[in-house]
Amino acid sequence: MQETNISAKNFEQCQKCSLCETVCPVMANNPKYAGPKRSGPDGERYRLKNGIFFEDSLKYCLNCKRCEVACPSGVRIADLIQQARIDYGRKAPKLRDVMLASTDQVGPLASAFAPLANFGLGLSPVKGLMDLTIGVDKHRTLPKYASETFVHWFKKNAEAAQEAFGKQISYFHGCYANYNYPQLGKDFVAVMNAFGIGVQLMPEERCCGVAKIANGMISAAVRDAKINIGAFEKSVREGRDVVTVSTTCTLTVLEEYPELLKVDNSTVRDHVSLVEQYLYKGIASGALKPVWKEGYKARAAYHCPCHQERLGWGIFTTELLKMIPGLELVELESNCCGIAGTYGFKKENYKVSQAIGKPLFDNIAAVAPDFVACECETCKWQIEMSTGVPVKNPVSILAEALDLEKTAAANLRED
Amino acid sequence: MKFDVIIIGGGLAGMTAATALQEAGLRCAVVAEGLSLHNAPRRGFSAAGGTLLAGDRVVSGRFDGDRLVAVRTERLGDVELEAVNFVLATGKYFSRGLVADMDRVYEPLFGLDVEYDEDRSKWFDPSFAAPQKFLEFGVKSSDGRAVKDGAVIANLYPAGEVLAGVSSSQGDATEAIIESALAAVKAIRRN
Repeated sequence: MQETNISAKNFEQCQKCSLCETVCPVMANNPKYAGPKRSGPDGERYRLKNGIFFEDSLKYCLNCKRCEVACPSGVRIADLIQQARIDYGRKAPKLRDVMLASTDQVGPLASAFAPLANFGLGLSPVKGLMDLTIGVDKHRTLPKYASETFVHWFKKNAEAAQEAFGKQISYFHGCYANYNYPQLGKDFVAVMNAFGIGVQLMPEERCCGVAKIANGMISAAVRDAKINIGAFEKSVREGRDVVTVSTTCTLTVLEEYPELLKVDNSTVRDHVSLVEQYLYKGIASGALKPVWKEGYKARAAYHCPCHQERLGWGIFTTELLKMIPGLELVELESNCCGIAGTYGFKKENYKVSQAIGKPLFDNIAAVAPDFVACECETCKWQIEMSTGVPVKNPVSILAEALDLEKTAAANLRED
Repeated sequence: MKFDVIIIGGGLAGMTAATALQEAGLRCAVVAEGLSLHNAPRRGFSAAGGTLLAGDRVVSGRFDGDRLVAVRTERLGDVELEAVNFVLATGKYFSRGLVADMDRVYEPLFGLDVEYDEDRSKWFDPSFAAPQKFLEFGVKSSDGRAVKDGAVIANLYPAGEVLAGVSSSQGDATEAIIESALAAVKAIRRN
């Protein structure tokens, strides 16, 4: 990018080529949305003149960032749209949006009463009532809550054994592994430990804040971001890099903190890796030695989540999975699944959400894999609900495909 | 990461070369900043098993003697992309394959030798509809390979509009772009 360009988020580099419009999943399915070019760099010119030009329709943006991947001129189109929503959006978030966004306030409560919460959220009268009263679409299968959180399990079953390992990392588990799907966290610990790496948690960890940003709860998001960066800094000071499993949490920490929340992450950003990137680098350099199970056989279809596309790190996942003997990997065409975090749960977005996902669902049906490989938790909900095909995180696939005992023996410290 | 061929640029020339090479059994990666031709060519290349790094851009190259050995990208950081051969298909000014300053035209990625007129007044014709000379500018090539400081880079093949003489202002632009891409494919397959 030319050094003389000083426009915010590079918007003056927009050449009006409209490529972003051709990849926007919302524009193709929702006529109320003006599209990334008009909502982003074009609208910005007007908004800079006067905030009254802010349009409420910007809320239809999924923040999938496909426009940014497609932009030949490096304009941060989705960031411009999110920034405008932060700077000019005047409506207070609805009760529903606060509930959907407060993953780490609702999570502990729902986990504590998990059987009841899961039972209740699965009943059609309850879903009907939620549809009518707060606008969570009744067609949607709601995420299940685990009765034992990952953190609780870790403290009870894994924490004591971690000190024995020579190399240590901090695991940013995120809300999903903690409250909804602790098995992912357990798989993560099993794989890391097999490679001779000890796992520590960061007690200060908060929700990354992505759902709060999407739902207009900016001051709460900034507060969480600052606490997280403080925790990351402490970990890095103590010699532990931070490893994450969620593509969206990672994108939020690396990109949205400085761009949208104005929370500086420069002290830690080179020490944060997504687990697939971390393991790929370790195995490629010879530092980590995998021993694969004999006779493992599966056919998987890889769906690259939008935020992984934006990070540009999908190649780490595919290269890592291609190492598994016996795994046939088909890469799906790059399409948004339509859920976009809390977006697809909202009644007003349900139809658009499913329409956006249709090309992906059709693609999966045509490939007919044993399972879909995907790093993103909300893509998992959407794909499982809409296709019936199970979705596995690459870490869970590794936990199945690795001979964990032999890997542990191969990665024993030599000292 | 190691590939047989890395194609820098995902436009008409880049995707034409990439798909042909991948289908010929070479392991190819395309680094495409922006998706100028995203649907059909991308599908064909992916279906043939090619690796597409979309939304990423090459930021530097590592040379060893007269060969380009590896490139780094913005997104992959310290993970290098190594290859035996490279295709440079970064286009002209719009896609920043070429940059025009007030006094010179240069190739910003590797600093390759560029053919252009040193007399700036001859770069353009004030008549809008007239053929514009600046559109003919582009990187020099010798036997299909790029040239840097007068020396040929043995495994870097420019293709498409980044090349001198290949221009979208010509009536047969598409043909010239595809021809140059297929010439690079032929040369790489011969080696």
